[in-house]
Amino acid sequence: MDMEKDIELNDQAGIGNSLEHDRAWAESFLNKESLSQFNLSTTNTPFNYFESFPDKLLSRIESEKRQKMEQKNTKILFLPSFMQPMNKWAVAAAFIVVLGGSFIFLNNSVSKKIADPIASTRINLQDLSSEELESYVDANEWIAEIDVQAQMQKENTRLSTLNEKQIEEIKKTISE
Amino acid sequence: MASDQELIIQFQAATNREANFTALLKKHQQKVYYQIKRMVTDHADADDIAQLVWIKIWDKLDGFKMESEFSTWLFRIAYNETLNYLQKQKKQVSSPTSGELLDYENASASSDSPKSTEIQIGLDSAISQLPEKQKVVFMLRYYEGFDYEKIASIVGTTIGGAKANYHQAVKKVEVFIKQL
Repeated sequence: MDMEKDIELNDQAGIGNSLEHDRAWAESFLNKESLSQFNLSTTNTPFNYFESFPDKLLSRIESEKRQKMEQKNTKILFLPSFMQPMNKWAVAAAFIVVLGGSFIFLNNSVSKKIADPIASTRINLQDLSSEELESYVDANEWIAEIDVQAQMQKENTRLSTLNEKQIEEIKKTISE
Repeated sequence: MASDQELIIQFQAATNREANFTALLKKHQQKVYYQIKRMVTDHADADDIAQLVWIKIWDKLDGFKMESEFSTWLFRIAYNETLNYLQKQKKQVSSPTSGELLDYENASASSDSPKSTEIQIGLDSAISQLPEKQKVVFMLRYYEGFDYEKIASIVGTTIGGAKANYHQAVKKVEVFIKQL
């Protein structure tokens, strides 16, 4: 409805007949001088603006192109979309290998550490001469003696704490 | 001077792209800039939008099929980019600030009477308050002298719609000035 009204008004005003007519029609309502003044204010630009604009624009285009290339390269190196599922599996496999490998390695080294002292102290008695055995026993006799004395002292202490009834019971057990 | 079509063909054939693009740019840059500046008024904004427009042209020129005039396509991109920019900035073109008023007064003090300065300010305010489409249609017709078919293609309307926008723009500005 509004459109029809507008078209009717346009026809009455003769809008679209010619450019000169349209300009003259606008100037009959609006101040021509002000209209040209308005145009002057919009055409005001800083000194040398249009001369420097192409170079400024081309260098911006160049830098944006470079940025896009860098982004593209970064994507290829780290996150190509078609590689993403494969990457997940590769990471998982690598993780398992590292974890499993370190578990086996640690287990081996611990058992070696435990086994090594025993292995190193294991001496075949047949390889030793009777002199060596005797000198070993002589050298370690006093240690055995101390061990026996200590054991006896311990037993005595235990017996001294027993009452008569307990002693009787022990005697009975021994005789049986 | 080579025509737009020749420059575009050479650009698309990848022969000396920068030189052909620069030639195209130099031919049209002023009109595009003025058109943008009439919508946003601030030079920094207009410069920013103009750069965005020409970057878009650089990116899309390979795919331009020359079904319409290059200038129609260029102005349409400029119009859309300006609208996008204004929406993003949420920056409506407002009436001139006191500083701007002072600039106009200083600029016209030497030649114009106080009355004409007042009319000038009124016209600027009135134009800035027009809806974007009416404003652009008025500018393209009155200042650039484009025909309605081209204007309709740029703003995405019919020829009748473009004429109606021109009519409404003039009438609204007139009413606004009378109210001052």
